[in-house]
Amino acid sequence: MKKILILLTFSVVLLPSCIDEPELQPNTYKGNFEALWKIIDTKYCYLDYKNINWDSIHSVYKSRVDTVSGNIHFFDLMGAMLNELKDGHVNLYSDFDKSRYWKWFTDYPSNFSSSLITSDRYLGDDYRMAGGFMYKTINNGTVGYMYYDDFSDSFSDANIVAILKSFSACKGLIIDVRNNGGGYLDLSEKLASYFFPEEKITGYITHKTGLGHSDFSTPVAVKTPAHKTIQWQRPVIILTNRMSYSATNSFVSRMKLAPKAIIVGDQTGGGGGLPLSSELPNGWLVRFSAEPMYDAGMQHIEWGISPTVKVDMSATDEANGYDTIIEKAISLIK
Amino acid sequence: MKKRILILYLIFVCTTLWAGNPEDKKYLLTTNLNSVGFSTISMTDPYLSPTNYSGIGLNYSHEDRRFFNPENTTLSMQDKLVLSSGLMLNPIGNSALTYLGFNYGWGINYSFRLRKDIRVLGGGLWDVDFGFKYMARNINNPANVDLATNLNLTGLLQYDIQTRRRTMKLEMALQSPILGCMYVPLGGASYYDMFELGSFTSAIHASTLFNKRGLLQTYAISIPFNQVVWRFGLRFNNLIYKANDMVFTKNEYSLLIGTTFDAIHFGGRKKTAPQNFISTNE
Repeated sequence: MKKILILLTFSVVLLPSCIDEPELQPNTYKGNFEALWKIIDTKYCYLDYKNINWDSIHSVYKSRVDTVSGNIHFFDLMGAMLNELKDGHVNLYSDFDKSRYWKWFTDYPSNFSSSLITSDRYLGDDYRMAGGFMYKTINNGTVGYMYYDDFSDSFSDANIVAILKSFSACKGLIIDVRNNGGGYLDLSEKLASYFFPEEKITGYITHKTGLGHSDFSTPVAVKTPAHKTIQWQRPVIILTNRMSYSATNSFVSRMKLAPKAIIVGDQTGGGGGLPLSSELPNGWLVRFSAEPMYDAGMQHIEWGISPTVKVDMSATDEANGYDTIIEKAISLIK
Repeated sequence: MKKRILILYLIFVCTTLWAGNPEDKKYLLTTNLNSVGFSTISMTDPYLSPTNYSGIGLNYSHEDRRFFNPENTTLSMQDKLVLSSGLMLNPIGNSALTYLGFNYGWGINYSFRLRKDIRVLGGGLWDVDFGFKYMARNINNPANVDLATNLNLTGLLQYDIQTRRRTMKLEMALQSPILGCMYVPLGGASYYDMFELGSFTSAIHASTLFNKRGLLQTYAISIPFNQVVWRFGLRFNNLIYKANDMVFTKNEYSLLIGTTFDAIHFGGRKKTAPQNFISTNE
């Protein structure tokens, strides 16, 4: 017995290692480039969907790394490499800068004017604010209008009750999420729940299960629950533009299936990949899309969601103090 | 006369022995070891970052041991509880990792003496290990959880050092996980996906020596002073495990200081204290 115990103890101590620690890239320009390239190669979720040849991008940028002169130059080069992904959810963060891809909205009409929505015709200067919403009745009290610019601004049921109560005499409601760049997915689900009389599958999500570009899990249904006590069952119009992105994109994807909702405005900006982050040897943080989200028909929502009624802002209307998209929404409620 | 004295002596001895019996009843003492540790700690958690983070830690550990049966001094049981914390930085120093850990274990040891002054304990310990890691600057993956249960092989060597005034105990303890299971999320899965939507694909793994290796070594010396036995030591905790194409490491080196004492446990309806034990609870 004694011998067995001693033997077992020593066998554990002396057992050769079966686990190899991965080699960390050195903190050099080349090492950081290789680390960044590998993070995207193994974790980014849209390489196949977007037909990106990431290996050839490695070849192109590897040769450029040899000519790098200084950190800022290197940062710009890595930012350019990441922009090949054409993804607003991909950023490189250093102490001095943040790389970004903004063509998902800069290449399109803005379809939004903050000075217009705060003009007397709409919110004016006597609007109320609750839980991140600016709200007021418009069109002689027949339409409730709420503007929400950030899905990171939390709200409570009490906020929503107060807002909807103030709209009790209205025929319909407008939720303006133009220029809302996203935030928390939980809040997009919560806001949508006030417009669903019963729980419904409104999308799917997958995640990577391996290092390969196409290694994904079985899609999991994303359900929008019906709020148990607070329900708005009159028409609701969602206003969108190309800057309606990420969690806002997810909200619009849900609301497209709400029974009395109509999406009006421009296509949303997209941002259908739930982002995660990682780190380079030099301490820079990289954010990237990791979990692709789909609509209820299993279609990617990375490039945005088309509106039910496509409307662009008219320069003439704008000059006359009208927001074409809000006016269209009012006419749909009438 | 001699016969009378002899008979009286025998009667005295016999009655004394008889009278002494109640005091000879054996009680099981529980050996308690409490210590705090100041450590250097380094970790790699590829779910949060591929980079190795290192820093300082603080831990508290409690261990108690007692025999199952006062008549059998070979089989003993032990409880272990370790609470630990750490604050680590990446090599550049621009990102922090906060760690909180909890480990509880229960085990059985077989003990024997190699020599009069050397005692060996060997056996198994089942433990539950929980760790929470938080990296504030991460986006959508700011935290990760370690959750595992293991069957460990344990060994303890005690050497009594006799000096003129006291007997010190030198200890070497080893513990290594052999079998178990562990929770390791997929590198590409967010906690939103896992907890909000219930997608736990490939998160639970069996662990064996092929994908999890660890060695917890403790070297300590217990020195009795007038009223208390102080315990000083070093603890090296090295752990490496692999799952979902990720390799996790934890290396902690602690300087321990604590006390050791023996206590007897009374409680419940059956284990009541004798009348000559005075309690504040009565």
